[in-house]
Amino acid sequence: MIIKNLTVRFGDFTAVDDVTLEVPDGQVVGLVGESGSGKSSLARAVCGLVPYTGSIEGARRVQMVFQDPYASLNPRMRVGDTVAEGIRARDRDSEVKRLLELVRLPAEVAGRYPRELSGGQRQRVAIARALGGDPGLLVADEITSSLDVSVQGAVLNLVRGLRDELGLPMVFISHNLAVVRYVADVVAVMHQGRLVEAGPTEQVVGEPAHDYTRALLAAVPRLRG
Amino acid sequence: MPVRWSGPAVAGAVIVALMAALAVAGPIVWGDAAERIDAGAILQGASAEHPLGTDNLGRDLLARVLVAGRFSLALALAATLIGAVAGILLGTLPSVLPRRAARLATGTVNALVAFPGLLLAMFTAVVAGLGARGAVLGIGAAIAPGFARLTQTLAATVAGADYVSAARMLGVPRRRILSRHVLPNIAEPLILNLTQALGGALLGLAGMSFLGLGVQPPSFDWGRLLFDGFSRIYVTPEVALGPAAAVALAGIGFNLLGDALARAAARTTVRKAEEPPAPPAEPDEPDPGAVLDVRDLTVTFPGGSNPVRGLSLTVAPGEVVGLVGESGSGKSLTAAAIGGLVPYPGKVTYGRLHLGGRDVATLSDKELGTALAMVFQDPLAALNPALKVGGQLAEVAVVHEGASRAEARRRAVDRLGQVHLPEPERRAAQHPHELSGGMRQRAVIAMGLMGTPRLIIADEPTTALDVTVQRQILRLLREVVAETGAATLFISHDIAVVGQLCDRVVVMYAGRVVEELPADRLAEGAAHPYTRALIASLPGLDTDRTRPLAGIPGTQPAPDQVGPGCAFAPRCSLATERCTTERPELDAHGPRQRVACWEVS
Ligand SMILES: Nc1ncnc2c1ncn2[C@@H]1O[C@H](COP(=O)(O)OP(=O)(O)OP(=O)(O)O)[C@@H](O)[C@H]1O
Ligand code: SF4
Ligand SMILES: [Mg+2]
Repeated sequence: MIIKNLTVRFGDFTAVDDVTLEVPDGQVVGLVGESGSGKSSLARAVCGLVPYTGSIEGARRVQMVFQDPYASLNPRMRVGDTVAEGIRARDRDSEVKRLLELVRLPAEVAGRYPRELSGGQRQRVAIARALGGDPGLLVADEITSSLDVSVQGAVLNLVRGLRDELGLPMVFISHNLAVVRYVADVVAVMHQGRLVEAGPTEQVVGEPAHDYTRALLAAVPRLRG
Repeated sequence: MPVRWSGPAVAGAVIVALMAALAVAGPIVWGDAAERIDAGAILQGASAEHPLGTDNLGRDLLARVLVAGRFSLALALAATLIGAVAGILLGTLPSVLPRRAARLATGTVNALVAFPGLLLAMFTAVVAGLGARGAVLGIGAAIAPGFARLTQTLAATVAGADYVSAARMLGVPRRRILSRHVLPNIAEPLILNLTQALGGALLGLAGMSFLGLGVQPPSFDWGRLLFDGFSRIYVTPEVALGPAAAVALAGIGFNLLGDALARAAARTTVRKAEEPPAPPAEPDEPDPGAVLDVRDLTVTFPGGSNPVRGLSLTVAPGEVVGLVGESGSGKSLTAAAIGGLVPYPGKVTYGRLHLGGRDVATLSDKELGTALAMVFQDPLAALNPALKVGGQLAEVAVVHEGASRAEARRRAVDRLGQVHLPEPERRAAQHPHELSGGMRQRAVIAMGLMGTPRLIIADEPTTALDVTVQRQILRLLREVVAETGAATLFISHDIAVVGQLCDRVVVMYAGRVVEELPADRLAEGAAHPYTRALIASLPGLDTDRTRPLAGIPGTQPAPDQVGPGCAFAPRCSLATERCTTERPELDAHGPRQRVACWEVS
């Protein structure tokens, strides 16, 4: 998939300013930047949720996973029904089972309601629902930032697993460079609506070319000692 | 939905049940009596035979009131249903129609809501023709706009939810989104509103009949009986009072029940209260050097929920102590307990809770307000959106220290400068929404500095901010502590942030402290399996990308599910038999470190 000259405006405010970015087949593109830098607006444009100018080519069936797993599941629907929403296949039940297995959830959660699940489990349900729509591209917007570190690892492992098992291309958004570095093949850095740097992960993290990238790297909290 | 059976709720339920019984049985039991014409007893007042008197054909009025119940209630029900169905349809139209038509529907509802209900009812009734049908349609029309507005507002909230966006992206059709996502999530408040509307409809219909617009003879409902009796009110008041009392009673009954249901829906489950925990043992000597000295702090909620369990903690002047743990471990409640902010019906007990050497219970609000500064995750919640930033800061000095307005303003600008808010003078004259998230958090910190705080409690002050702004705020906090010598309790679920900022770290799990150690020993010297697992789950800039990230399997037990042993045992790889039955105490583990674990010693 390739995004060409994408611009998103809200009134006179330009949230995304002429961004061109390629998501290679089967790769995870990590999108970093501070809040307000335009990451989410870009994601929503790719998903067709906000109007934009420019072109998005080769992105058929985009699905998105949202930041807050408490707000992104219908509290009145059982997990199984939620996951089944996008499924086109005839045998829904076995498809739901397969998807739950894919996100490493036991089949019995299909009968439960979201309130009976932990944050990490809910986020997996949201991922399973997105996969049910048979996406050609998955957009994950800050999907671990409302989770505890103790469960973040499991969700990040899942994201990596999906790329390896399904070859599913992804746009993975986060403001934490350490998290992005772990899952992404390519890192793109946004600042004030513009793309200031993009390249292979090790290169961007190891030899950042832009001052803003260096500032982001310096801001990653780390233990002393 | 559990209903608390308070007096009014019981009264409401009883009245409604009686009304229902009356509607069923009334005409069967008293039907004949109500129609029996007695030429010898025309227009009588109350007597032993006719407790409410008789009408112009000598029919017994008490029997007629009892019989009219069915018709009155049926009409009210019909009017409410008509109003609700019309209102809900009108209210949901905007979410299914194309944009232009949706706007028209919204406009119509807005116009109807602005129109006085009584006029709408009378207008409809007159157009539809005198009689019961007209009255029902009229009251239905008066009820509909309210329902439409409610439906619209509720539906708009749900339509903005992420799960609706997700369904759209999956190509779920609009009608299905409405039936599966929107309606089920707004049904409860709508049903509650229905009960209350029923009471209103009953009164409204009685009013219509009373005005002569409603039920026409020979049919009769309560309103009609009231209308007939009213002309005799000066001579024999009981003939009017009977039907009036019936209408009033039914109306009150429905409203009381509706209220009780609404309140039950707004409340989360409260389970049966249990024995309060035993008072903690005699505390040891207070720590004279500490600004904050907490011993055996416990927070209890009814139903055996015990989110903070015998927590002890000290913070010295100029020291930054980090309180870290997973969501729900009790960090915020600990902060709330120190600031006296635990919400009802929570109960706080402690062996000692000293701030600056004095028991917080003996401090006045004013003393506590100046000695303690609290900074929360959401800076908007701490700032009044309607007031200018500078004014709000100044208020603190005026209220707590009796400073003059001018002096307070000067200090506000000074403090805003101290937290490095650019152009403090201009910012002081702005409203909170004109500031970015990071600036707002600076303003809140500045607000805490208006007094001379001896203790600063910061509960996740940077969680809503991104890493770059977070770093600036953390620097600022350190600077403030260095300048003021205030003791600081910094709460976060992010152990990396805590490790970077703090001098000492206190790790909490399921309401207890499980480890306490100097922050610079976190990376190498953490001893408790939980602390170690937390650190291992952190992805860093040098994490091996070819290996899976570590995590902690399972979840923390809820505050009412903590067993007798070590609370971490079900998730711990080192757990033994003993861990599940006996709880390890927090014991010294080398200098300046304490650990609660059987396997570490
Ligand atoms: N008002 C209340 N009534 C009943 N239980 C409550 C109340 N407030 C909090 N709790 C419970 O107490 C426990 C601790 O809550 P607390 O807010 O202190 O956690 P926390 O460590 O601050 O978590 P987070 O990292 O999510 O902010 C939770 O299980 C919570 O459900
Ligand atoms: S006491 Fe036992 S279960 Fe608890 S942390 Fe130590 S080893 Fe694990
Ligand atoms: Mg908290």
